[in-house]
Amino acid sequence: MDSDMEISLDRLPIKRLESIEENGAERFPSDVNYDDKRVSLIRRIDFAWALEEEDELKKKKQKKSSKESSEQWQWKGMVENLQLAHQELSVIIDLINTVEANDAVTVAGMTKPKPMPNELLSDLAVSTATKLQSYRHLGKYFKQSAKALEQKVNREARFYGALIRLQRNWKVKRQRVLASNASNEGFTIDLSDSSLYDPTSGFRPSTLSTIRVEHDSAGMLAINLPQDSWYSLRFGFVGLNSIDNPNESAEHIDSTTGQDTTSEKLSVSDEESVKETHSLLREVHKSIFAEQLFDMLNREAFSEGVGFSISGIRENFLEMSIGQGASLFVSLYPSGKNASIKKSESAIVPMESSGGIELVEGDSRVKKLGFPSRASYDIYLQQIFHEHVFGKAKDQTKSKSSQASNQTAKDNNSGLLDHFCLSLAHRIFSTRVVVQLESVVCKVPYLHLISHPTWNSRTSSWTVCMTVPPSIIPQGSSETQSLDGKRNLKTQFRTKVVVKDDCISVEAECTPNVVGLLKSSSCNLFSMNKYECDLADLPVIILQQVTSQIVCWLLEEARTVGTKASRDFLSLSLEIVEGERVSLVAQVNPEDAKGCISWWLVMENGCTEERKGVSESRKLLGHLSLDVLYSVLMDLINLCGSGRNPLDRL
Amino acid sequence: MDPQTQNTSLQRLQNVERRVVRVLDIAGGVMDELASPSGPKKEFINSHCREFMQSMKDIQVTLREEIKSVCEYRPFEKCDYNARIANEICLQKLEYVLTQLDDLKKTADRYPSSG
Repeated sequence: MDSDMEISLDRLPIKRLESIEENGAERFPSDVNYDDKRVSLIRRIDFAWALEEEDELKKKKQKKSSKESSEQWQWKGMVENLQLAHQELSVIIDLINTVEANDAVTVAGMTKPKPMPNELLSDLAVSTATKLQSYRHLGKYFKQSAKALEQKVNREARFYGALIRLQRNWKVKRQRVLASNASNEGFTIDLSDSSLYDPTSGFRPSTLSTIRVEHDSAGMLAINLPQDSWYSLRFGFVGLNSIDNPNESAEHIDSTTGQDTTSEKLSVSDEESVKETHSLLREVHKSIFAEQLFDMLNREAFSEGVGFSISGIRENFLEMSIGQGASLFVSLYPSGKNASIKKSESAIVPMESSGGIELVEGDSRVKKLGFPSRASYDIYLQQIFHEHVFGKAKDQTKSKSSQASNQTAKDNNSGLLDHFCLSLAHRIFSTRVVVQLESVVCKVPYLHLISHPTWNSRTSSWTVCMTVPPSIIPQGSSETQSLDGKRNLKTQFRTKVVVKDDCISVEAECTPNVVGLLKSSSCNLFSMNKYECDLADLPVIILQQVTSQIVCWLLEEARTVGTKASRDFLSLSLEIVEGERVSLVAQVNPEDAKGCISWWLVMENGCTEERKGVSESRKLLGHLSLDVLYSVLMDLINLCGSGRNPLDRL
Repeated sequence: MDPQTQNTSLQRLQNVERRVVRVLDIAGGVMDELASPSGPKKEFINSHCREFMQSMKDIQVTLREEIKSVCEYRPFEKCDYNARIANEICLQKLEYVLTQLDDLKKTADRYPSSG
């Protein structure tokens, strides 16, 4: 209690006037609550000294741990800075969001902060890198498209190269295809010949005549045709095994033009594939021609024809009998790899299975029947049809102005089938004629057979030649001259055999007459005579003709010497003495294997004609060659001179 | 390319196609060169661009010439299909004659040549 006492004086609890306003209103301070009083009292107390103590304590603590917590302080500063920045950013973001959401508030303007140099550099680097990247990209794109274009160019070069090569031989047409698929550019190959088609003749272009050109898997030109869609003409005789198969070689070609498997195609070079395509087109072209031919045959088959009669019609098959015991068939059959399975049913034996022996047998059978080679007649049929069609086309182009309607009736029947069948029949017949002629000529050694080309399919001609030995009688003044002043020196006798369709006619001189020649002058002897005969009689007729020529020749020879000789059919008589005659008589026998003409020497006594059997002596001389015969004649002539019995000498 | 070796217009057009491919290739090369990390080589770019422009000019010249000289399209005036068929028939005839000759030869060979 030594310190001074401090006394505080409260104000009297009198309400004191706080302020007076102008209008005289008085303001009194508001009443203070009891708590407020206490708080204000507490406030009066000065606690500064306590605070100072606290600060001192804190400072001491800080000094102790200043080093340890210096960083904490710095981080704390950074943390506080970041927090402040975060707060500011969030404010800005909120502001932006509000601006965005709020249409009423818009951004008036923005100023970009000035970029710093390293930002500039990094922007530049980025843009440069992007540009380089895009250059690289572009470079790769160019190179890729260059490669693709090169491939496309090469592929198209192959395709168009092949197309150009085909265009040299075939008509290539193009239709612009509107469809978007680029695989088919609309090329077609047109195999029809428009110059041949006119509405009157009724030729219709076949379905095969337009062929699409396509690409194969490698982009090369290819033509896809089903195997059996093209045909070829088959021709043959019913009942005859095919010996020569002309279509074999065609089938061989067909097998190589068929569609190969894809593995084989890779090894085929461009040139070969073009060749294959070309061969295929050839086959189809031929097939179109064959179809036209068959069409024409069908149409003509219904018209009246002399040379044929239809005996059967099926699809793509026509059978007719042409006379001479032959029956012909013409058919269209699909040619391709499996054509052998689908051959027509006329007993055709494939050639591969027949051995060599069968060939010989068949050959002789063909010879017996006289059927000509199928190939030759196949070709002939095609040729006459082609000439007919071509000639008609030519005529049409010439006479297009004169459209005579009455021509069509004639044109419909051009008689081709008729002509063809007659030719075929003629050929069969003439083969038989040749067989007969050969059988005669082979047996007689001094006969030769010559055949002549007639350039007419329905006419054939041959000559049987006989060369006689030359005369040993010199030309003298005493010989008889023929009426025309020339000496009949014959060294060769000819017998001409002409066959027209199926008529045989023989033309020769010194024709044998059954009735003996009344006049023995030589002018009648060597006249040409023409007569007809049958096939069965032909050998005998020929032999008789030849023998008669020999007799005439001998007669002429005898007459040149002056001997009294006469001729009667096939015998030559010489008068030796009065009433006695010696004759050389010929006997012809076509079946004789050693020689068909044999000679007899007959001695006759004229006064004993009634008793021929007794006073006629015969001696068979046999088959004599012409030289021997001539010498016999000379001997007889000598005998005539001397008058002795000729038979004693022999 | 030696101009004398291309005597048909077809060959010339094919050459144009090849040139276009080459031009694309050049463009790709130039782009690659520009994109190279070490920076483009100036002579390289120059030479390539020169070649590019030259090729384009050649292509244009050739195409212009070809377009001028293209003849108008004529439809098929003459068709030789008839002659073709005639040829095929002749071929068959020849084959037939050959077989006949072969047969003749075979027959002749059967008989030894008599001395």
